[in-house]
Amino acid sequence: MGDFGALLDGFATALQPMYLLYALIGVTLGTAVGVLPGIGPAMTLALLLPLTYSLEPTAAFIMFAGIYYGGMYGGSTTSILLNAPGESSSIITALEGNRMAKAGRGSAALATAAIGSFVAGTIATVALTLVAPTIARLAVQLGPADYVALLVLAFLTVAAVLGSSPPRGIASLGIGLFLGLVGTDTLTGQQRFTLGLPALADGIDVVVVAVGVFAVGEALYVASRLRRGPIPLVPAGKGWMTKQDWSRSWKPWLRGTAIGFPIGTLPAGGAEVGTFLSYSAERKLSKHPEEFGKGAIEGVAGPEAANNASAAGVLVPLLTLGLPTSATAAILISAFQSYGIQPGPLLFQDESALIWALIASLYIGNVLLLVLNLPLVGIWVKLLQIPRPYLYAGILTFAALGSYSVGASTEDLVLLFLLGLLGWAMRNFGFPIAPAVVGLILGPIAEEQLRRALAISQGDATVLVTSPFAAVVYAALVVFLFLGWWLRRRQARTEAELAAVAATPAESERSSS
Amino acid sequence: MGLLALGVFTLVDASTIVAPSSVNTVGPQAFPYAVGVLLVLTSLALFVDLARGRGGAAEEGEDVDPSATTDWPTVLKLTGSFAALVVLVEPLGWPIAATVLFAGAAWSLGARPWWRPVLVGAVLAFTTQVLFTQLLDLYLPAGPLEGVSFLG
Repeated sequence: MGDFGALLDGFATALQPMYLLYALIGVTLGTAVGVLPGIGPAMTLALLLPLTYSLEPTAAFIMFAGIYYGGMYGGSTTSILLNAPGESSSIITALEGNRMAKAGRGSAALATAAIGSFVAGTIATVALTLVAPTIARLAVQLGPADYVALLVLAFLTVAAVLGSSPPRGIASLGIGLFLGLVGTDTLTGQQRFTLGLPALADGIDVVVVAVGVFAVGEALYVASRLRRGPIPLVPAGKGWMTKQDWSRSWKPWLRGTAIGFPIGTLPAGGAEVGTFLSYSAERKLSKHPEEFGKGAIEGVAGPEAANNASAAGVLVPLLTLGLPTSATAAILISAFQSYGIQPGPLLFQDESALIWALIASLYIGNVLLLVLNLPLVGIWVKLLQIPRPYLYAGILTFAALGSYSVGASTEDLVLLFLLGLLGWAMRNFGFPIAPAVVGLILGPIAEEQLRRALAISQGDATVLVTSPFAAVVYAALVVFLFLGWWLRRRQARTEAELAAVAATPAESERSSS
Repeated sequence: MGLLALGVFTLVDASTIVAPSSVNTVGPQAFPYAVGVLLVLTSLALFVDLARGRGGAAEEGEDVDPSATTDWPTVLKLTGSFAALVVLVEPLGWPIAATVLFAGAAWSLGARPWWRPVLVGAVLAFTTQVLFTQLLDLYLPAGPLEGVSFLG
């Protein structure tokens, strides 16, 4: 009951007019920036982080919650109307949604995505409210060795699941870990890898890295191979969800939520796996399997719900264990750190008021998103039409603004650009970006816990595996890696089938003409 | 070829990590060693991958033409615009330097005629200056415009 009372207190805080305003600003900005092509949720958060520097923590986190959900939502609009997903979790939405849009049913697709996100987001936030405090209470008992085990689990799954091949994922993780090493060692005061530069002595600011590899890297990458010519935008079309659309949508919403939330909750990477699972489930269960690949509404409703449910699920390991399992979560954690708050099991005790206000504002943000998005789709569509030179010049400008305002130093700007070049190179050669950001954030935490564990055992390394919890985690890791391998195969098969389905109508059109 | 360069980069990375630093048993060098070994091993794995002919696929995106090759002149012009910001932001202030960055970047990406990105950039730069210094209480240098109301 204590949790319920705390949640009510959270609502009392978050419903104050000032905080409601911040939530509204967060949701609006999050959606607006998330809609822009080339900007995924992680980049949205990184770019908007500076706006909260001067706010007090509660206001900042309420705004973040809005930006987080808004950015997630904005991405689906882009993929439905532009047929090119900005992130792996909207691949499926792009697939069916864009076909619906081409058939003149764009607004029905946008509506089912919006309502599905709302339903899934709300249910998943309820689940978060119920699950998180319990996990936090259990997690308090974990020792440093147990943390090392959890961190190893997060590292390996993030590296293996995000991106195209495990060695590339691990290489990217390694780059992130290395960047995390730069600076002054927290325990001994020893400087590491600073090349003697005073600017590097405090380490590399996470915002600079995130904005650099995501925003500057993306702008450079797109600039280097910009698609010339008109933007292949499909008009949203008129009309609304028909009765049939509703009856075909509500079950996929619920199933998508049921699939997405648990997958997001696992302290292991790969939230987008849920969208693929949901899609194949809908295809199996549908009464109209022949429509899949040609714009089936179930294929938008289910995966979109799964996507949003796992976005809420990701907050469970983030808030209770301090483990980010996606790039977006990694940026959220750095936002916490900039306020001197370390997410982890003690968070629910130490910062109880702040956390419950954050959770309450997730509910509020969801409602605001629904209210905002259904009537405002027209404006978001206009944003999609910003001429590309201006769009990417704007991204560069705001990236520079964000990292310059952190410390008003030109060294940060140089660093930002170098990291942008790194991000560009990684994109060019097929290295996933997300593991690097996760490695950067988790690396220092892992090092600290590892050294603490070894200091307690006086250098005896067996302590790392003999704790029962740690042993269970390593066993689970083996299972996860196998499961991940199996899911990937399944995902690959789904993609192959989709490609086959997509190819057939095109061929038949050609042969008939 | 690019992958080869990155593999070498990882190796060089690792070799700098192996540079010894003093202090006790589980001191500040233990974790860097682990990261170094990880980087060396993965770069070796990538070499094997590459030798087997499995190169990396470039990332896809909304505005990316997958068939295009790297457009070096544009990248260089962008780098130039960014360098201009770094050099100019302190003497001339954020509003002017950011206008230069935006206009330079948009022009390199194909915005024409030249005065339009300059105009858009100036509006953007001055708006952010006012927003950051007045509403958000964050410092941005105003340069020669220091003292003008709402800007510095």
